[in-house]
Parts: sequence; C-alpha cells; structure tokens
Amino acid sequence: MTALNRRDFMRTSVGAAAAFAALPQKPSPGANDTIRIGVMGLGGRGTYLAERFAERSDTEIAYLCDPNTRRFARAREAVEEAQDASPKMVQDFRRILDDKNVDVLINATPDHWHGMGTIMACQAGKDVFVEKPLSHNIWEGRKMVEAARKYKRVVQVGMQSRSAPYVQKAKDYIQSGKLGEVHLVRICNMMKHPKQGDTPDGPVPKGFDYDLWCGPAAKLPYNPSRRWLNQWEYSCGPIAGDAVHQFDLARFLTDDIPYPKAVSQTGAINALRDGRDTPDTQMAILEYDGLTMMMESTLWTPYIKKIPASIRDSDQFPNWPFCSTKVEVLGTEGFMYFGRHGGGWQAYNAGGELVHSEYGRQADREHQDNFIDCLRTRKKPNADVEIGHLSVLPYHVANISYRVGNQRLELDAATESFSNCDQANKHIKREYRQGWSIPENV
Amino acid sequence: MLRSVLACLSLMGMFAPCAHASWLPIENVKVREDPTEMGGPKIVIEYDLPDPNISAATPAYVFVRYSKDFGDHWELLGADRLRGTGFGIVEEPGHKELILWGAEQAGIADLGQVEIRVRAVAMARIPAGSFALKGLPGAGRDEAKTSKPRSNLPLYYMARFETTVAMYADYLNEVGGEGAGWNRRMSRANRCGITQQSDHTYTIAPGRENHPVTYVSWYDAMNFLNWCGLRLPTEAEWEKALRGGYYLDGDRTKKQPNPLPERPFPWGEEAPDADGVLRCNFDGEDDGFARTAPVGQFAEFASPYGICDLAGNVAEWTLDWYSTSFHVGLDGFRVARGGSWMAVPVACDAVTGATQLPLKETSIMGFRGVLAPRR
Repeated sequence: MTALNRRDFMRTSVGAAAAFAALPQKPSPGANDTIRIGVMGLGGRGTYLAERFAERSDTEIAYLCDPNTRRFARAREAVEEAQDASPKMVQDFRRILDDKNVDVLINATPDHWHGMGTIMACQAGKDVFVEKPLSHNIWEGRKMVEAARKYKRVVQVGMQSRSAPYVQKAKDYIQSGKLGEVHLVRICNMMKHPKQGDTPDGPVPKGFDYDLWCGPAAKLPYNPSRRWLNQWEYSCGPIAGDAVHQFDLARFLTDDIPYPKAVSQTGAINALRDGRDTPDTQMAILEYDGLTMMMESTLWTPYIKKIPASIRDSDQFPNWPFCSTKVEVLGTEGFMYFGRHGGGWQAYNAGGELVHSEYGRQADREHQDNFIDCLRTRKKPNADVEIGHLSVLPYHVANISYRVGNQRLELDAATESFSNCDQANKHIKREYRQGWSIPENV
Repeated sequence: MLRSVLACLSLMGMFAPCAHASWLPIENVKVREDPTEMGGPKIVIEYDLPDPNISAATPAYVFVRYSKDFGDHWELLGADRLRGTGFGIVEEPGHKELILWGAEQAGIADLGQVEIRVRAVAMARIPAGSFALKGLPGAGRDEAKTSKPRSNLPLYYMARFETTVAMYADYLNEVGGEGAGWNRRMSRANRCGITQQSDHTYTIAPGRENHPVTYVSWYDAMNFLNWCGLRLPTEAEWEKALRGGYYLDGDRTKKQPNPLPERPFPWGEEAPDADGVLRCNFDGEDDGFARTAPVGQFAEFASPYGICDLAGNVAEWTLDWYSTSFHVGLDGFRVARGGSWMAVPVACDAVTGATQLPLKETSIMGFRGVLAPRR
C-alpha cells in the first residue's frame, strides 16, 4: 500500500466530513434516468449484486472495486455479459466517490468496511446498498444512521427477506392475534463451519492492496488461511453476520421491537479451536417488556441444514426440526415455524394442529426493486439503515458480553451503552487505524 | 463392410505458432475383422500417428469411440477391452495397431453396422513426486475436504492445450441433439463461435477453430471429458503442472532438479508483461489479443512440462469443490484456476483461483483434461 497522501488523509479523518459535506447534493434520479452504480467488494456477494443490477434496464454498473485485483475478472465478466457498457475497474473505492456521475455505492465488503464505506458515500452524496450485518460495532452503526439522515441518503441494508410477500403475511397473521399474545421468539442459526488452516503468515500477494483492505481496522500480518469472519478486527463474527437475517425477521414479525432491556449470553469456542477470536457457540436471551427472545447459534452442527434453494423457491416446507435458520414464534394460543429467504411458514393452534401454511420465495429482486424505487421517491427503503442498526445491535451486545466474560448487560437505549458494566462500554466502539477515522459528528 | 471410419484430423495447419492444438493428426485409419480360432472374430484397427513430437514426455492420448446403430449413439471403447500399441497413452509416433477381442460379445462384430472413430489428444507427462503447493485448494475453505491437499502426486498426464472450439464442436456433433452441452452464447463469434444449425449440427465461426472453448459449465466440461475417457484436474494437479515438481523427472530418479520449483508463472518469476515481453494472454490488447488467443500461441512460455496457456487465455475448471455452509443449497461451488484474457497480469499466476457455481457459463472459463488416477 502506498502511504496515504495529505488529500487522502483529509478525506478519511475528521476533515472528511467537512470535505464531503461541502459537496452539493446530487439531485434524485428522475423516473427515466439510468442509475449509475459503483460496487465496493468483489467477493461472492458483491459479484452477485453487480450482476443482478447489471441485468436491470434502469441501472448501470459504472465501477467495480476491490483492493485485490485478482478478483476483477470474475465480476467484470459477469457485468459485461449482462450490460452493454464496460465498468471501470479500481482498487480504491474513493475513485467511485469522486465521480459525480455515480448515484449509488453498493458496499459488499467485510464488516470492518461497512461503516466507513457507507458514511463516506453518504458524505459524497451517494445512496448506498450495504450488505448485512450493517455495522462492525454499535457506535459505528449509529454513525451510519446519522450520516444517512444528515446527508438525506437512501441506505438500504441487504436483509432482503424484508421485501418478501410471505414475510408480510406472517406478520399480518401474528398481528391478527391468531397466535394469541407472543411472549417468546426463538431464533436459530445452527451451522457447520470448517476450521481455519494453519498456514504461517506470509507475504502479501502481488496485486492485493492489503493495507487498503485493512483500512480502518488493525493491520494484522497477512495470513492466507485466516478467515476475516473469525477475527474481531474485521468482523462481528460469523454467527452475528448470518443470524442477523433471522433476528431481523423476528423483529419484523414483532412489529420492529426496538431495544432489549438486557442481554444475557453464554458463548464459547467449543469445537473450532483454531486460533479464532469469535465464538462458535452462542446462546443469548434478550429481555423486552413482555417478550423474551432466544438466540441459539452454533458453528459445528452439520446435521442441522440450511434450507436448500430448491425448497425455498418452491411449494415445499423445510424439515423444521433440522432447519438451521428457522424462527419459532410462541404465542399463548398458537405457534409458528418461520423460514428465511423463502421456505415459508406454518402455524399451529393450541391443540398442536397445523392450521395455516404459507409458501415462501426468495426476495432479492423485490428488495432491489424497492431500493431503486426509493432512490426516485426518496422514501425510506424496506430495510432502512436504522432497521439494520437495531437488528444487529443485540448481536453486538451478545458479542460484548462474551468479551467481558459472559456478563448480563443492561442496555440504556437512549445512549446505546451499558448501565451496569464499564468494561463492556469499552467495546461499543473500536480503535481506528491512523488515517481512517470516523468523526463523532459525521 | 465398414460403413465409415473417421480419423480426426487436426484443423491446426493454418495456425503456425501451435502445431497441434486440436486433435492430433491421425492418418490412414483402417479397420478389418479377422477370424479367430476361438471366441469369434476380432476387430483390428490400424492407423498412423505421424506427429514427430510425440514422445514419452509429450505423448498422445488415443481414444476410440464406436457406434453400432449407424451413428445414432456412440460409446467409448474402454481401454480394458483393447490390446495393441495404439490406445491410451502412446509414446511414439508411427504405425499403430490395436485389437478388440470379443467383438461378437460386445455386439459390434458386424462391421457393416459399425462406425469407429479414433481421436488423439496432445498430452504432457507429469512424473510422480512432490511439488511446492502454494495455492490453497478452495482457498483453504473447503469443508468438503477432510484431509489436507496432497503435495506429492502420482504420475499423471495433462492435455498440453486447453480444449478447443474445434474439439468441442466435434464432440457436439457426435453426441448430437438439441441442447447437448451447447448454449446460445457459444454462438458469439468473438468469444466462442459454435453455432447450432436447424438440424442440430454444430458449425464453427471462421477462424475460431483453435481458440479455447468458452461458455462451458462445469458439467459441460465433465461430460466432454467423460466422452474422451479423461477427467478434470484437481487444483493440486493443475498447480503442479504449472510449476513442475521439485524434480522434473520425478522423485524416483531425481536427476533433473527444477530450477524454480516455487515459480509463480509457468515460465518462471517474471511478470507476464515484464521488460516489454508478453508471455501470455491477459487483460487488454497489448498481448495481441483482445479476447481469447488460439491455444498454444505463447508456447515458448509453456510450463516445465510443455503445457501451454496455464497462465492466461481462459481460467480452467478443476475437479475441486468449494463449499461452505453458507453455500449449502446453492449446488455447491467449483474452483476455476488461473488467469484469463480478462485478468490483470499478476492474476495469471499459479495461485489465482475463482469460485463459481458449476452451472456458470462464462467467456473467461474453459478447461483441459487429465489422465490420472481416480479421485
């Protein structure tokens, strides 16, 4: 990585807010304007999103960006097959932000770049589609919300099931009272992850700007076997990163219940003792007024399966007891199994009889449609940035509990901090590497 | 009487830099039926393999396919049913003869009903031994693997060239029918160039014969190679073919040390565009090709075993899975190794790989076969 020059530094430090805030805000795209998009992060999800938006007639992928140039070809080919124009290929996302003709930044980076990439894009007058989990830590999530509001940006989070019709039907069903009063929701995220390899640290491969990849996070020695998901520097953990989908849906089903009063948590690295930071087992209990939510997560349970796409997109239901991503809604008069990303839901009455079934379908396209619509109408999208913040926040709390010895933490919603543990409050925000800071006032 | 015999002649003569990038030339094919004292007639197939470059290090892989219903259906004549000097790995050029015993039992004794086709692929011998495994199969995240990848491989053979448009069109024309391994994008003349005609035969756009076939899914590649009697290389096999083993003659003799066993590129350590020398087909037109190049175009920058285009041109499907729990239900992923005509120069090295759904058909991915122990 070349050293940051003064201009770069100014953009990425306290001066950044002022620099971008001074930019005139780009007018909203008109109904017939082609929306020009830059994609930041060309892993599997970023490439997928680039291809999907390139296929649309109302959008154009103008930039593809990744610090690792080895990732360029796969994404570029997919985009060029789907649209007439060739995207510009860049390693540094700030070139996307510099381009006044770009309307949108798709942020499909590792967790540690979600906040800074989104905030800088808002400051530069871009609307944002950012992948889940919204933030790396609680403080950063709040700053993302503030930036979106301050710069009047549309920020959609990649929690696509919020846009699925079957999900809305489940919410309507619950709100109709057919389950009675809901007092318990169980959220399942039971996975099978591999152990990390034991390759020693090594030189950074040519063509990979590792310093830029680390960005605001600590620059650990490069190791080809390390999974960023397993390191606190770059991630809020593979459990939080995936289970946030189900918890977000659980919140949706319970009328977007905001903050838990307290979180009890027990977590451990029970099976995957490979040098990782993040737990492979987490059980968390969230306390609300009249409602308890339980989050049950593992990374070492191969017999519990994700719902195959062939079921999620068809008139079939998962094998619920062995469904790794199910949500269970328990009311005083009924019970619901609920699946994510399709998979549908089924409701049972007090006698244990199946009384209602609704098939599901994945909703990526609907979620993207909603985002594009909001760019023109300036309405809040289905998975607005604040929804994303509140849906990942309990997982941040559970992680902090793990890091301070599995303490029960009481949450002060007004300050988004803990009223019973000073040690825990130290984890609300992370350390930022020199040259990459998010100002208090975004 | 024999209805027809096809000797799959190379279409390569028109491309000087690469002598044999499609099927190797096979000439003077003759098939006859000889009586035997016991067990009914035997079929004798004779042909000439004229390429003087065929050797133990760069042999031909010869396979025979036959039809007993006037070409409607074809089958691979298994090597276990053949005897003679001219099937499987063939290490010398010249006149060849192979014998099919038990022709009657196989139901192909009546040559009036039978068509036979003999084809040959240019291969390279990769002796058994250890090598510097640097790339992490599945990027080190393949939970389908329960053991570490092997850095010591038994003897295997790899095709010296990527599978070409001409070879793939020949395959399509034999397996025939609608949709058999073909998709509409293949007809794009500047990226692949195989067009399906109304009678479900397949034609090649002029000048595309010798380019690597593209828009092939992992399943297409597997089907083609099954048709030949070959398979896709594993990631380890692909990487060893590029770098060479610690000893290029293998660990048994150890007489020929590899001068650069950890080389990042087939030719050595220089970047593909270092010092103004263009060593493979990467992104842009500086190398003379805006998209794919005819295979073997950069033959002087081949791997230590004489295998061409492992760097650049098209990325190549491998046998290996890339699968994590995040991908369950998505049909699994497979790994394509190497750079392509769309890749930056550094990405044309020994460790670059991309994960793709096996149904993916792209203009930057092709394949080549290996003859190797089953995995």
